[in-house]
Amino acid sequence: MLGSSVEIRNVDKFFGDFQALDKVNLQIKRGEFFSLLGPSGCGKTTLLRIIAGLEYPDSGDVLFDGISVVSIPANKREANTIFQNYALFPHLTVFENIAFSLRLKKMSENEIREKVEKLINLVRLEGQENKKPIQLSGGQRQRVAIARALANEPKVLLLDEPVSALDAKLRQELLLELDNLHDQVGITFIYVTHDQAEAISVSDHVAVMNNGRIVQIGTPYEIYESPADRFVATFIGETNLMKAEVVDVNDEFIRVIAKGLGEFSCYKDKEVSKGDKILLTLRPEKIKISTKPLEGINSFHGVVEEEIYMGYQTKYFVRLDEGYILKIYKQHVNYLLDEKIIHWKDEVFVTWNPNDSFIVEVEKG
Amino acid sequence: MKYITAYTLWLVVFFVIPLIIILSFSFLEKTPYGGVNFSFSLEGYKSLLTIGYLRILWRTVWISIISTFITIIFALPTAYYIAKSKFKNFLLLLVVIPFWTNSLIRIYAWIFVLGNNGIINQFLKLIGLVDSHIQFLYNPWAVILVIVYTYLPYAIIPLYAAIERLDNSIFEAALDLGCSKRKAFFKVLIPNIKAGLVASIIFVLIPAMGSYAIPDLVGGVNSKMIGNEIARQLTTAKNWPAASAISSILTLITLLGVIIFVKSSKKEVLN
Amino acid sequence: MNPGKFSRLITFLILIFFYIPIFVVIMFSFNASKSPVWVGFSFMWYKELFTSSYTIWKAFLNSIIVAISASFVATVLGTLGAIGLYWGKFKGKDYIWIISYLPLIIPDIIIGVSLLIFFVFIKMKLSLLTIFIAHVTFSLPYALMIVFSRLQDFEYSIIEAAYDLGATEEIALFKVIVPISFPGILAAFFMSLTLSIDDFVITFFVAGPGSTTLPLKIYSMIRFGISPTINAISTLMLVGTIVMSIFMRKYLRYIF
Ligand SMILES: Nc1ncnc2c1ncn2[C@@H]1O[C@H](COP(=O)(O)OP(=O)(O)OP(=O)(O)O)[C@@H](O)[C@H]1O
Ligand SMILES: [Mg+2]
Repeated sequence: MLGSSVEIRNVDKFFGDFQALDKVNLQIKRGEFFSLLGPSGCGKTTLLRIIAGLEYPDSGDVLFDGISVVSIPANKREANTIFQNYALFPHLTVFENIAFSLRLKKMSENEIREKVEKLINLVRLEGQENKKPIQLSGGQRQRVAIARALANEPKVLLLDEPVSALDAKLRQELLLELDNLHDQVGITFIYVTHDQAEAISVSDHVAVMNNGRIVQIGTPYEIYESPADRFVATFIGETNLMKAEVVDVNDEFIRVIAKGLGEFSCYKDKEVSKGDKILLTLRPEKIKISTKPLEGINSFHGVVEEEIYMGYQTKYFVRLDEGYILKIYKQHVNYLLDEKIIHWKDEVFVTWNPNDSFIVEVEKG
Repeated sequence: MKYITAYTLWLVVFFVIPLIIILSFSFLEKTPYGGVNFSFSLEGYKSLLTIGYLRILWRTVWISIISTFITIIFALPTAYYIAKSKFKNFLLLLVVIPFWTNSLIRIYAWIFVLGNNGIINQFLKLIGLVDSHIQFLYNPWAVILVIVYTYLPYAIIPLYAAIERLDNSIFEAALDLGCSKRKAFFKVLIPNIKAGLVASIIFVLIPAMGSYAIPDLVGGVNSKMIGNEIARQLTTAKNWPAASAISSILTLITLLGVIIFVKSSKKEVLN
Repeated sequence: MNPGKFSRLITFLILIFFYIPIFVVIMFSFNASKSPVWVGFSFMWYKELFTSSYTIWKAFLNSIIVAISASFVATVLGTLGAIGLYWGKFKGKDYIWIISYLPLIIPDIIIGVSLLIFFVFIKMKLSLLTIFIAHVTFSLPYALMIVFSRLQDFEYSIIEAAYDLGATEEIALFKVIVPISFPGILAAFFMSLTLSIDDFVITFFVAGPGSTTLPLKIYSMIRFGISPTINAISTLMLVGTIVMSIFMRKYLRYIF
């Protein structure tokens, strides 16, 4: 099996007056694990259904391997879908569900048997062949849905929140399995989810959507580390947002002044000039915290307002002297040997590297 | 779309068009041996404005309402008991059997029991209590009895379904909050099964309004209902416009009744 | 809340009320006398019913012919209609619901009278054919609603999944939709059968000479007065009903 590349060009979709998709453009490479990530109702399912051929774009084009497929109906398109609710055929056994598309192709009984068995091994459903969907657990149903879709030998597999109906632990397991499966079958996966952790952990590239628009496309590293705007910064992971005014600019760095913080330095990842108002994002795990004074350009002093112990790390909310409340995650490398355990109401020093903050919005001043 | 065409076409041709025909025939002139002349006339309606007709109309309404009322009064506790019973499947089957039993046979059973030659009268004669017979049937109350008997299962089943669906804990909460059982029945049960209650009332009231066989077989001359009059106009009197006019009025009454009833009960549910 | 003594008493009385007249009829179908005074056990009325009641059996045969053919047509059209209503995207679904609910709301007698006038108006001879048409008409909405309620148990995405896997419309219909709605289709068929066999009023108006059905025959017999033969027919029909009810219980969910 080999995947197709998928390209979406300027796709618009309206439901009545409501615009569900707004000039969507995407380029998905052959064999990639690509995620569409966004909050509920942002149009992910709609876009996926347009790729599957279950919905038609009002304008724009969908291309598989450079060839337009908008005129090809869903039953002829080389893309198959894992539906959000799996949509297994309730009257057919696991075997017959998987064999559905093979029977339509008029394959011989032996071929079908051989192929279905292979798929059953692939998704590890041995021994469940003769059960009806209603007799399966949620995780098993999902595997049947995957095997059924793969049986058709699609070049693109579309997955609509395939693990969202399962409990947290199973979700992790199946996600890992999906990742392995992707490596084995080598076709293009387009994966829809509203869970940023899922998207970041398995994808080659992620497109972040909001209100029917694509707001950023990049590797998980790129969208996490350098979010394109305020929405991406807050939707992916947790962050500290800081409004600041630029007071000095040099080649690589800028000096800013922010209410509640005071003056500090940042990396100049966008073109700004003196007097601009900017919005900065700074991930909580990038900040060092200690009871002793810390060395660094951006050093502040404050008091721990709240402490949340989470096992592998502790979350602190630190009120700086000038009033800003900074969110900080401290990993427990070795909890007991860590210099001194910081607690609620402790006075602390915090610092971060100017390279770790990013400018997400610029308002020319 | 194409799948529904045959269905829609059938209902339009054999249901909607016949309804339109009787509505239009009610405004035409009659011909002596059945049929109509295609000229406008209000005779069909005018002939209804007699004391006799108004009496039949009024009787139809009160018999139907009283029957419905009695039916619901008995259906409620029965449905409730079945829904909460350990043997609900069996009890439900006992209700469903009369529901599926041919309605003429159910009417006949009462004639057999209460008729002038029925077993009760035969028994009374045998023990010498009466000379010929006591007339139990052939009055409006016999009609009501048989209507209640016929439509009780129709009322019990939707009520049962509605009560079944209810979460038992709402009663427990009500009792816990100091409600008496009777209060819980009226303040908690009834408001929560409104849809089932509405369905039950409609399932009884409408067929009762359109009764034909029951008053025909167990009613006397003084308990004829609208249905019997429609049949008489159509067959013996051969007055099509009049039959059409009564039919149109009966249709209008039931439709308006259902619409107003469903609308007002919906409003109450929302409030 | 456990049901109280009051509701138990009422239920008990209602069940007695339901069954006493029926039991009396059954009992006297085995009476060895023509008058309703118990004299002794006998099968004589059954013997008479089976040997010398040609017209009753003719009527029974008519009923069966109409019931099976009308139920078949009503089920096919109702099923297709339900699928169209569930599957299709088109305007005017509301109107289809309205014309489906109207026959349930309008009293039977109106349906009978309007069909009679319609048939006479288009000069169609009253016969088994007109009875068949009438029975299809009043069964159709039930068939549609029963199948539709079964389809509603499934998400629309099942149909899309079939498409997605390469099915054409016909294959999605026959390999997926018809099989999953089959219990509903069967329930619709049996519901139509019972409605058809039970119907008196509508048939009364649209039947012509020589097209007497069993309920019409029973009606005319009742008009002549009570008779042990009617008791015997009633008993047999009751047995049929009980068997049918037990069988139908599995599908009751799609009927109410
Ligand atoms: N058939 C339809 N008719 C009208 N509006 C629709 C239709 N399908 C989707 N929408 C609207 O389009 C928007 C996007 O829907 P979509 O299902 O693509 O969201 P989503 O991103 O998949 O959300 P979720 O995460 O909740 O599944 C929503 O506001 C939805 O209400
Ligand atoms: Mg979705």
